[in-house]
Amino acid sequence: MKKGGTMKHLFSLKRLKNLWFLAIVLICVKLAWFIIAFLWLPVSGVNYRVEKERKPLYYRVKLNPNKAPPPKKQTKKTVKRVVSGSIKDIILLGIYNASDMTVITVEHKKKTKVLSKGDEINGFTLDSAGNNFAIFTKGTKSYKVKLFTKKRKNSKSTGSIKEVASVKKESKFLKPEGEIVDAGDHKIIDRTLLDHYGENVDNVYKDIGIKDIKNGKDLEGFSISFIRRGSPFAKLGLKRGDVISSVNGQKIDSYNAAFGIYKNIKDIENLSLVIKRGEEEMELEYEVN
Amino acid sequence: MQMVKNILLVLLVSWLAIIVFMPKQALYYKMEETLATQDVVLNETSIEEGFFSLTLHKVSVYVKGIPVATVEEVKFFTLLFFSRLSVDTLLVDDSLKKMLPTELNHAEITHSLVSPLNLAVHAQGSFGALEGNIDLSTSSVRLDFNESKNIEVLKSELKKDEKGWYYETSF
Repeated sequence: MKKGGTMKHLFSLKRLKNLWFLAIVLICVKLAWFIIAFLWLPVSGVNYRVEKERKPLYYRVKLNPNKAPPPKKQTKKTVKRVVSGSIKDIILLGIYNASDMTVITVEHKKKTKVLSKGDEINGFTLDSAGNNFAIFTKGTKSYKVKLFTKKRKNSKSTGSIKEVASVKKESKFLKPEGEIVDAGDHKIIDRTLLDHYGENVDNVYKDIGIKDIKNGKDLEGFSISFIRRGSPFAKLGLKRGDVISSVNGQKIDSYNAAFGIYKNIKDIENLSLVIKRGEEEMELEYEVN
Repeated sequence: MQMVKNILLVLLVSWLAIIVFMPKQALYYKMEETLATQDVVLNETSIEEGFFSLTLHKVSVYVKGIPVATVEEVKFFTLLFFSRLSVDTLLVDDSLKKMLPTELNHAEITHSLVSPLNLAVHAQGSFGALEGNIDLSTSSVRLDFNESKNIEVLKSELKKDEKGWYYETSF
């Protein structure tokens, strides 16, 4: 071996220095992220514990035949008889709907009449009108009459009254068709009413206001902030300030529980509400027919 | 010249290190915490962390405890100067079908340093297709329904101009 000869560098010192510097940069970045994660970032996520379908604590079934509600057919017949009566004689030909007035043209016994809000025809009073329908009232009941398409074309050609689209923003509010019948010891809710609210969630908010009651972060229940006068909710006997504790034996202590009731509202057979009115706790029972 | 080269190399390595070493899962948990304060909870079956991305599989979305939607896949992708959030197959809960379109096939929200105060939105679903942007400077959102179909449930929330239906809101 030759002593004192020049030895070749396997690695360039400069390159090694650069690599060393880059490694330090990598370590610094990793350390910075580690500190950030350690000090400010959580180690586990937030997960929602899915509630299993809760069964009601009890389900009340009335077995006493003397207190049994009137048979279904009888109730339906009564409603049908009224609806299929003279309201069908009224044919809606045209609608003029503005923010300050409502005028409609109807045909009754082959005579054309112009009605404004509050006017009466055949015992029915004009209450309101939408883009293609008019609402009449008789007693406590409301009837919806739809615009007669063929006649509308005729009336356009004669120019008696022009059908004008409502200037104001179209309201999605439709009056519910079902009724709540007082059967003495309990009330009977027409199923079409539940179907109506099940299909039109907007109408629920227009008829009733529900506010959550919170104790810190925990939800304690729901209270009624307002009820539209004359609405089906008012007929149920509910009042402003009532706190709804349970529905059909199921505690209403979460949004999911409340929404679960709403989702299945079409399928319920009867309705039992436990409410707190002031210091008093009350149970309200209804039959769905 | 060598100096410039070295600086560029350090910048490149730093940029790569920032993205690759980013604790993406922990950052996602932080976002979950923030959303939870707004009563929005995301339940995912698995989380996959990549060098530049984070993918969530089978995500259920709960708002105030109510199941609102399920999403097949949500992917966050970032290069810092360009970021993208993509959502695949979002199905809205049946109970909300009266209020919202039931299916969103694909949606993308992108952010680029070229326009730092704008987020571009693109989506396709049962409502057709929409494009729009979120303006962070004016805190406004505009979504144009270019190929609108089956948007009856949304129409009460939409406006119409010569281009067609659009949604506009501010936050």
